[in-house]
Amino acid sequence: MRLSRILAMAWENMTQRKLRTSLTTLGVVIGITAIIGLASLGEGFRLDVKERMEQGFELNVLIVIPGSFTSGLLGGFTPQDVANIRENVTGVEIVTPIITLPQAKLNNTQTNEGLNAITVGAVNFSEIRQIFPDRFIPLTGELPSQEENDTVVLGFRTCYLNDVTPVVNVGENVTLQIDGSEMPKNGTLQVAAILNKGGTSGITNFDYWAFIPLNAVPAPINEKYNIILVKVSDPEKSEQIAKDIENTFENPYSISILVPIAFMRQVDRILNFVQLFLMAIASISLLVAGIGIMNIMTVSVMERTREIGILKAIGAKSRTVLGMFLAEAVLIGIIGGLIGMFTGYGVSYGLAYVLSSFMQPQQQQDTIFRTPETHGMNINPVFSPEWTITAFVFAIIVCIIFGLYPARKAAKLNPVEALRYE
Amino acid sequence: MKALLEALDVKKAYRIGKLLVPALRGVSFEAKEGEFLTIFGPSGSGKSTLLHLIGGLDRPDEGEIIIDGFNILEMSGDKLAELRLTKIGFVFQFFNLLPRLTALRNVELPLTIAGVPEKEAMERAKEMLTLVGLETRMNHKPTELSGGEQQRVAIARALINNPKIVLADEPTGNLDTKTGWEIVQLMKRLNEEKGQTFIVVTHDPQIAETADRIIHIKDGLIEAIKEAPRGNKP
Repeated sequence: MRLSRILAMAWENMTQRKLRTSLTTLGVVIGITAIIGLASLGEGFRLDVKERMEQGFELNVLIVIPGSFTSGLLGGFTPQDVANIRENVTGVEIVTPIITLPQAKLNNTQTNEGLNAITVGAVNFSEIRQIFPDRFIPLTGELPSQEENDTVVLGFRTCYLNDVTPVVNVGENVTLQIDGSEMPKNGTLQVAAILNKGGTSGITNFDYWAFIPLNAVPAPINEKYNIILVKVSDPEKSEQIAKDIENTFENPYSISILVPIAFMRQVDRILNFVQLFLMAIASISLLVAGIGIMNIMTVSVMERTREIGILKAIGAKSRTVLGMFLAEAVLIGIIGGLIGMFTGYGVSYGLAYVLSSFMQPQQQQDTIFRTPETHGMNINPVFSPEWTITAFVFAIIVCIIFGLYPARKAAKLNPVEALRYE
Repeated sequence: MKALLEALDVKKAYRIGKLLVPALRGVSFEAKEGEFLTIFGPSGSGKSTLLHLIGGLDRPDEGEIIIDGFNILEMSGDKLAELRLTKIGFVFQFFNLLPRLTALRNVELPLTIAGVPEKEAMERAKEMLTLVGLETRMNHKPTELSGGEQQRVAIARALINNPKIVLADEPTGNLDTKTGWEIVQLMKRLNEEKGQTFIVVTHDPQIAETADRIIHIKDGLIEAIKEAPRGNKP
């Protein structure tokens, strides 16, 4: 018997039992909807998280800090350490040290109004600008091009306390005071630039930083760096480069290196696992649909016992009968799968909308870790063709597996007994 | 005339619960090409079982059945199905039409199974339905047809593949006398026109008498095989 005729007859049989067929198909539709809906939602969630992390972390910047959990804090890095990294490690583009000055206070020299600088960092401006090209964009003023020793660059939040008027303007002077220390000359610094909002990077938010040139830091602390930033040419090689950096030190365990991409990978792995887990749960509904198919087909075989007997009596082979019933299961799988794809897409959009509106950020206190441009979770479902095809094939396979038993039962019927069946 | 069908010492028993009930206890006969045979006997005599066996629907426990040179004991299930499709046509007491298909589609069915293209199958089925006098009822479903009409459809279906043998199991058993006679007459006519072998199982002595030969069967054994003069019209 021709395959096209088998399919046509299966289709006729199905359309003559519309309610039953549609209910059986509904099971598959729900299964596929769940799988595709969750898959595309999960994918969208993953991409959103990834995007956020890429915004927050410079994936190509390694952060080297002195000390580790095992050896305790060291005094800091020396210029020699920086030079060692710069010269001995391949794959490194820029190496720049930072000195952080704790308990520093900045005031407008004229008005004596305090600035909101949580950290004052001494940096090499030209180098740090290359490391963070997106964050060191002046809102007003210009970054000091050569290494001066009497200028300051202010993070957005240090002077814009209320988003409207700055505490201090470019060109005006600020006074830097550091408790219990005579540096840097307790002098006044001219504001060279105010930076645009940059947001959280890795472990800190530069909007709350004020930057002074390294030259402004007096001896002896001007040669004790707290942080070394290393920009790598290929983030994928971060781990190897981190190892090489460790090896430039006499005791590799005396430093710690933050590798953002390793963190990213870990998060990605977790999200991947969560997504698979969701899919596994969704798959259960498809299995339930399969059992529904098996149930309804077994009943159908019993009802059509006589018909099967007739078909066999007039010359249908067992495999033809098997084919006729399997064709019904496959058709249910195909139709259910196709409908399920569309409803799956629909459901994922609906769910994304609901979830997004639930995850709007609450208006919170201005904290260090609050990113200035915090926006609501915005999940857009992502439809991967791989998942769609996988789900579709899975639906058909489930239908075949669960349709096989009743179809075999039909095929194996003894024609004489089947004809006698009332 | 050469023997188209041979049954040699055929035995068949059915298991009902733990009991083995013999249905056929050693039956031998042959049917010649173009012959109109009736198998006559009371109910429970094993005549339907015999018909199923010589139609390749079931296999004997013992003995041999040879249809047009093929020994059915040596054939696989698929080969038997093929044999039923190409060499045998069945007519049943309860018509056994597929209720959801029209008369035309029912008659087409063996051709569909044989893989004949749809258009050709339809042409042939229409011809055959015309031959049995149902040219105006082709597109009706079995439930819209009378018993006699349904049986005509069944006969058309049995003949559509041009089988060597047509086997009819109590074809008039579910019809009134007049309609029953019409069916018998139709079968006689087709037998004469097309020269196919007809084997009709019946418990009606009058119908049995219409055959060329009558096989009397009782308790699973052949009592007698009687010759009747050809042309014994009902």
